[in-house]
Amino acid sequence: MGEARIALQSLKMSFRTRMQYRVDSLVATLAVFIRESANIIVIYLALLKFDSINGWNVNEMLFLFSILFLTYAFVVSLFADLRDFSRMIREGRFDRLLVRPRGLLFQLILNNADLIASVGHGTLGVLLFLISAGKVGIHWDFATILYYVCAIISGVLIQGGMFIIFSSLSFYFVETNSIREILYWNMRKFAGYPISIYHKLIQGLIIYVIPFAFVNYFPAQYLLRKPDMANYNEIYIYIAPLVGIIVYLAAYVFWRVSVKRYYSTGN
Amino acid sequence: MRAYVEFAIKKFQDKMAYRLDFFMGIVNTAITILVYLCIYKALYGDAADIDGISYSMVATNFVITLGLSNAFHYNEMFLQDKIRDGSITNEFLKPVSFILRLLSENIGEGAFKIIFHFIPALGITILYTSLCPPKSVLGLPVMFLSVALGYLILWLISFIIQTWSFWLFSVWGIITIKNVFVSILSGTLLPLWFMPQALRNIISVTPFESIYFTPVRIYLGELGGREILSALAVQVMWIAILGVIANVFWKKGVKKLVVQGG
Amino acid sequence: MENMIEVRDVKKYYKIAKRDKGFAAAAGNLFNRKYETKRAVDDISFSIKKGEIVGFIGPNGAGKSTTVKILSGILYPDAGEVKINGFVPYKQRKQYVKNIGVVFGQKSQLNWDLPLIESFELMKFIYKIPQKKYEENLSLFSRLLDMEDFINQPVRQLSLGQRMRGDIVASLLHSPEIVFLDEPTIGLDVVAKERIREFVRYMNETAHTTIIFTTHDMQDIEKVCDRLIIIDKGRKVYDGSIEEIKNKYANVKTIELLLEDGRKETKTFDVSVTPMNAVMEALFSEKNIKDITICESEIDSIIRDIYEGRVILDNLEAEGN
Repeated sequence: MGEARIALQSLKMSFRTRMQYRVDSLVATLAVFIRESANIIVIYLALLKFDSINGWNVNEMLFLFSILFLTYAFVVSLFADLRDFSRMIREGRFDRLLVRPRGLLFQLILNNADLIASVGHGTLGVLLFLISAGKVGIHWDFATILYYVCAIISGVLIQGGMFIIFSSLSFYFVETNSIREILYWNMRKFAGYPISIYHKLIQGLIIYVIPFAFVNYFPAQYLLRKPDMANYNEIYIYIAPLVGIIVYLAAYVFWRVSVKRYYSTGN
Repeated sequence: MRAYVEFAIKKFQDKMAYRLDFFMGIVNTAITILVYLCIYKALYGDAADIDGISYSMVATNFVITLGLSNAFHYNEMFLQDKIRDGSITNEFLKPVSFILRLLSENIGEGAFKIIFHFIPALGITILYTSLCPPKSVLGLPVMFLSVALGYLILWLISFIIQTWSFWLFSVWGIITIKNVFVSILSGTLLPLWFMPQALRNIISVTPFESIYFTPVRIYLGELGGREILSALAVQVMWIAILGVIANVFWKKGVKKLVVQGG
Repeated sequence: MENMIEVRDVKKYYKIAKRDKGFAAAAGNLFNRKYETKRAVDDISFSIKKGEIVGFIGPNGAGKSTTVKILSGILYPDAGEVKINGFVPYKQRKQYVKNIGVVFGQKSQLNWDLPLIESFELMKFIYKIPQKKYEENLSLFSRLLDMEDFINQPVRQLSLGQRMRGDIVASLLHSPEIVFLDEPTIGLDVVAKERIREFVRYMNETAHTTIIFTTHDMQDIEKVCDRLIIIDKGRKVYDGSIEEIKNKYANVKTIELLLEDGRKETKTFDVSVTPMNAVMEALFSEKNIKDITICESEIDSIIRDIYEGRVILDNLEAEGN
């Protein structure tokens, strides 16, 4: 209960902060929306010419993308402080959380929401979903809706868990942004497209190491059943909603172990 | 002139100090190339060519365009930061042109990125993909000239928007939007060959086509002798037009700054 | 009275990577790092009773901040024991910090873009402060610190002094039993400093709050604290009352001279070693003096002398405890 009040107050504060700079917030949100749309526009234009990519038509591609954007909208409203964690350590702001009587991850998750990124990505995700969801042949009944919701939650947890793991690395190394850039953001670039188009090595990375495939590709496969699913074990599409919990728990354990180093070294 | 060359060299050396950036730059460039080549490959499927454009032409276009667009990318918030913290006025006291200094530094950074990010990434790329060789050896110097002109066009567009920080609280949003326009309309992500005809017609009357696509077409030999000349003339024309606009904004901005005292 | 804070033989060492200059050395360091040990806190012990106000001073890098971090549960000590209010801070973090307030003078915890009241509201929820107590504390503090005028203004528009007052209130709204003030007067003007000092004294007298106060300003210590702990190079070099240290150095006099040619000079003498009349005699025979001022030894200059090693502090440490 108390936790919910803190969350609400933090969200209110994030919102009011943005409202201090209305025009700038609006332009920035629009900019994020347009920046993220670039890939969509390109794939749309390309598919006007080429019809399909490895059997995926334009609506199916938009559906695949929409999951990526929708989950990320939640991720940046929850995990913004973990995304920027190395800076927080460097500026010594993490000390403040240590002298408050609340869980550390809880404070990091709720303290700060990147509303600009959240609204920018979220609007695009909703828009793409509305455009595509009715045209990709999904029969939306209770089971598919339940699967879809679980998959979105799982996708948020997978990405949030990865942010926590990369943040934990800040307790061991001074510079962690580059490793995250290479592993996380590049994998996210890959994840917009059906992973079957990539080299086996990249597929391995995106399934087992930075499991973006479970954020959008396998959930989309459950709903769309494209022929390229034949390359993978069927079990993946059924465990996709669970992978989030596993990744998040693993991240949580790693965080607990790593944060101890902070107590002994400081920043 | 000597001073500006020094600025460029200085910036080049500054960049060399960050070894991690250097490594990251290569990896990120190589990975981005890989992603898009996989996408184009998948789009082509079994087709040998689409509208007379082969896969290796597309790959060549993409690799050149991406390499250039990375090199043409620099800190576009520089002017805004200088205006915000007031240090811009110090720049006016120095006996060098601020605009030319900025340009030289950006060129120095671009040269660094071409040599240390793009060429190594290109080396990695040709290990797994065959790219088109240049159509003729003679075409290469012409292409380099065209690249330089393309760079100036893009630089002027960026500079014009940067000068808006004399009036706006933040130009970050507008710069981001501009970059999206550039990356789509100049053919960075999808080659202009595959754009719908209506869009192609619009693009052909904008400066965007002159940034990367003109040099690429010269490289691939898509343009004949007369066509090359007229394409270069179009590039020069855009530089002139954008140069005038940039000058107007810069003068007005500086005047506003002097009158209002920042 | 029982001890609120008990610190026994605490040590904290940092390993610092040694960096050699030059490219070859930098490349070598990638594989074979050399470390040197910095003794940030080197065997410090003290105890503080409930309701005491203790000033912590020491030059930069002396170990003050590290000590405050250990006491507030942010750092583990490498050796020794800390027991505060019945808790071991770094082991029972969540329960322990419920009853402490920490102000980092250099790191504000307020939201930069919003009015103070928004940050206070957040504290209410974080510390589960009952509404009634929250309102009482808020109205009391804002009266004492004169905050009514600016409590609804965005923090970025406040002066440094106003912001610091806001930060102190944010750390005290939950009525902590122990408060750590880490340089709360840094960069403030005289009036703002005075206001904060009065407030700290008031909190101590009325709520019996135990307060640890670090500062570089000796006025803070003189006006606020009962007791002074001086830390230098990770060690405690003095622990006792301010009166005591003043008496000890009452014989140290500083003399300011204005010479005929307009130059100024200052000389420090221990009059128990060289009597005042001998000092005067010597000065007037050596120099052409236009004017002379004899200064009472200020706590400030005493402390400076201690840091600079000009005054040797034998047997002080033993007496203090």
